[in-house]
Amino acid sequence: MTNKYYEFFCPVKVIAGKAALEHIPYELTGLAAKRPMIITDKGVRAAGLLDPVIAACEESGLEIVSIYDDVPPDSSTTVVRDIAAVYRKEKCDSIIAVGGGSAIDTGKAVNILVSEGGDDIARYTGAGVLKHPLKPFFVVPTTAGTGSEVTSVAVITDEKKGVKLPFTSSFLLPNAAIIDPRMTLTLPPHITAATGMDALTHAVEAFTCMAKNPLSDAYATAAIKKISQSLLAVMDNPKDQDGRLELAQASTMAGIAFSNSMVGLVHSLGHATGAICHLPHGLCMSLYLPYVLEFNLESIRESLGELLLYLEGPEVYSATPASRRAEASISAIRKLRDALHKRCELPRTLKETGKVLETQLEAIARQALDDGSIMFNPREVTLEDALSVLRRAWA
Amino acid sequence: MLLKRLQPMMFQARRNYVELMFQVMGRALQAISDVDEPTREEVRALPEGFLFEMQVMPNGPKLIVEHTGDGKLHFHGDTAPRPVDLSIQFKHMAHAFLVLSFQEKTSVAFANDRMLVDGDVSYAVRMTRVLNRLESFILPKLVAQRAVKEYPADIHLPEKLMSSARIYLKVATQFVETVRA
Repeated sequence: MTNKYYEFFCPVKVIAGKAALEHIPYELTGLAAKRPMIITDKGVRAAGLLDPVIAACEESGLEIVSIYDDVPPDSSTTVVRDIAAVYRKEKCDSIIAVGGGSAIDTGKAVNILVSEGGDDIARYTGAGVLKHPLKPFFVVPTTAGTGSEVTSVAVITDEKKGVKLPFTSSFLLPNAAIIDPRMTLTLPPHITAATGMDALTHAVEAFTCMAKNPLSDAYATAAIKKISQSLLAVMDNPKDQDGRLELAQASTMAGIAFSNSMVGLVHSLGHATGAICHLPHGLCMSLYLPYVLEFNLESIRESLGELLLYLEGPEVYSATPASRRAEASISAIRKLRDALHKRCELPRTLKETGKVLETQLEAIARQALDDGSIMFNPREVTLEDALSVLRRAWA
Repeated sequence: MLLKRLQPMMFQARRNYVELMFQVMGRALQAISDVDEPTREEVRALPEGFLFEMQVMPNGPKLIVEHTGDGKLHFHGDTAPRPVDLSIQFKHMAHAFLVLSFQEKTSVAFANDRMLVDGDVSYAVRMTRVLNRLESFILPKLVAQRAVKEYPADIHLPEKLMSSARIYLKVATQFVETVRA
């Protein structure tokens, strides 16, 4: 009898494609919500990305009661408390988060406060604290990378204590994720590249780490195929709506995959690098992915070899001997990074970022060892192992 | 039919085994923090007075250890002197038995959602490393390889024999002291 066991859960309704935003009023009405609040950041508003969301709602007679557009890149407990106060004052009954990871996490945290009560979000930190469904919550991602629209986690900084508070509950999952190509059409090239690599890393780690399972595998491979086929096309033609939609869908699919099978050492190193050197998350993923795959190679040879089909297509896959497919998959990822570097100078090494000192590598390695995602890496990682990956990624 | 009649006895035996293993592990955690410097190095990162618990949900057997300072751990049995800081909880006795009988590695149990972490995940990762090191010392290599993700390359036979003998001696001494008390 097999010893294998897995769990898979994703109740988020995905509303994707042309004119997807126009489905928001109908979907909100279906949840008896009439007074939505939008949570977003100044960049999203300045880019005019709120306009189609508001227009879609107004045309159906649904008034956006309040807009909070001051979510910072690292959202805090104070911001969450302030937004919850506005929500209550304006008698809102639902939340639409429009933006990237920070706006979405903030939306999740605000939903906890306005549904459970109180002003202290720290009371709800940890796993399994929430016991009831929250208010109607929709997410409109404006980047194609984080996958936050389908994850049950939020991270908010407690600025007084200087710590990051994690919140984990299936009740944090939005009722619907609205994937509309208009929302990512104006993403600058370097953000398109970094977030694309973020989504690719989610999918590759979901497929190669310890909690992989048949359902998340299906989402991961589909995501990898879409990213391989569309990322460079979109870099060459940023107004390619079909390509943008493919990337946005891939990001959501990769999010579903990794939220059900977790990630590994790339994320451990990326989280540590982000905390110490303040590099964007997507860039960190791009920097470490090939080196971590090389480190894990002998433990993931078979699964990594399978990914060649989705990275390079059937011709290359069938022409590559089975024993060389894993290495060829790593080469394909390196080739993609080189192509992105050529198009937008997305750094390929820590040195190229210009923001990391060689003397910081040990601190990054030490912090990575305590990151939760390291538990799911297929190989045990010692300090020396982490350092050797970092040295390879240095230059 | 016979199997159904035997089932309550099997459940009780499984529960007794898990309880016994928690008793041994708790004492062994205290012992390894006495004899192994790398373990103390790991534990030093935890705040002094930090209480760690492993438990079977909902009210099953548990072990509680405290970091008393300088990397030393103290086994509290199954009663915590105050609310614990970190709890690793098996969802069911069957899952605890799988791990404690070395049929499923701790890391695989985490990946399979057999366990929940309540508390700071970074401390849970650290305590898992301590548990892995303990298992690598006190179990024969062939068994330890079934319990940990990778058997540590830096543990060689002479060191393993010496350390495991000292850990077992301390565990036995603690058991005797408990019985006398």
